[in-house]
Amino acid sequence: MEQMVVQMVAVKKKRRNKIIGPLNLSIPQGYVVVLVGENGSGKSTMMNMLMQTVIPDEGDITWFGQSYPSGIPPEIKQQIGYVSEKSNLEEDLMTAQEVAKFRSYWYTDWDDGLLQKLFKTFNIPANTKLNKMSKGERRKVEIAVALASRPKLLLLDEPSSGLDPFAWKRMIDELQEYMAQGNSTILLSTHIVDEIRRLADFIILVHQGRILGMVEKDSLLDNWKEVWVKGDSSMVEDLPGIVSAQQESIGVLRLITTECKQLENLLQQSGIQLMKTRGLELDEILSLWIQRDEAVIVQSERGE
Amino acid sequence: MWIPIQIDENSAEPLYHQIKTQLRSLIINGQIEENTLLPSIREFASGLNCSVITVRRVYQDLEGEGLLRTKQGTGTFVAKVGDSKRETFKRESVEDALGKAIDAGISVQCSEEEIKRLFLDIVARKYQPKIGKE
Repeated sequence: MEQMVVQMVAVKKKRRNKIIGPLNLSIPQGYVVVLVGENGSGKSTMMNMLMQTVIPDEGDITWFGQSYPSGIPPEIKQQIGYVSEKSNLEEDLMTAQEVAKFRSYWYTDWDDGLLQKLFKTFNIPANTKLNKMSKGERRKVEIAVALASRPKLLLLDEPSSGLDPFAWKRMIDELQEYMAQGNSTILLSTHIVDEIRRLADFIILVHQGRILGMVEKDSLLDNWKEVWVKGDSSMVEDLPGIVSAQQESIGVLRLITTECKQLENLLQQSGIQLMKTRGLELDEILSLWIQRDEAVIVQSERGE
Repeated sequence: MWIPIQIDENSAEPLYHQIKTQLRSLIINGQIEENTLLPSIREFASGLNCSVITVRRVYQDLEGEGLLRTKQGTGTFVAKVGDSKRETFKRESVEDALGKAIDAGISVQCSEEEIKRLFLDIVARKYQPKIGKE
């Protein structure tokens, strides 16, 4: 069985004007799990709770199978690499080399060779003070330092914000390299569709403090499709996973389904061929997913 | 080793199935030779922008079919494909293509006689030495 790197059970946190949770979540070892959701949906709070910089009001969190209510001990914390959304003000007057040296103190697996290689690949001005760097440069320092600690779990909170497209591509390559070592796990939040496409094994969709689901990226792309079939709107009710149906022209129906294979099989049994299928873009899928679940929530609240 | 696999995102066929079918035919028709070391699961997945779960499933299935073998700690290799397996595959892929052609005929209400005549005409045309080119 797969080992879980981190788990959340019924975790809740009250923020100033919203409630995050209840969150139930398991991150399996050896995968890239991507958190997506609108601004303010609770992604950073989730990351912060995994670093214990935010303590949940309710529920349990475990790291590598253990819970640490009185604080994650250093030998566990050094197995977690973290790139936070905001940069650390205390390090403003240090250079990249100084920051790396300072932080390396806590990591027994620290790899200075890798650090210097990453500084070079990312074109980091290693002897410039962090507050004199651009946002993107500072981001690159954070990513390089996190990777050089050779963590088992890498938490990346919007790592690509501020990166130019060339640095972004290098970051993708470095993260893939990190994953190739085996036993490594990434939990990453992003708004960039291409980043999800290239990196994700699983996608977690977060919306208004709740997790709408965690699915395999490929199964999402395989199942959510737009299809054109001969027929009219009277047949829609009997078809699986329909989230949208429109009469394209007389006798032709354009459908969006979340169950493409099942739909195709069912139609084939009744002798109806799919006229055309189109794979949806990830951002289309994610916004349709949010719309669908919001409709379900509204319906169930009305029913009560 | 780079593996030429072409994914069609607009097809109704699941990714996993597309990759498996293509990799299988590359192995059986000999384009990827016996004992070739395939890319690691993570490497293959990044090349195709798909998840490691999909690639792992493909490797496991083809291993089950006897086309791949995994050596612990070294990687996944192409196994020896027997002649009988190659023959079966050859026959099946031709049967499959012919089946599709006949379906196309049926969909435009071709009669059995018509299809047979067309088939024999095309066979005659394709297998005859090309006149004027010799």
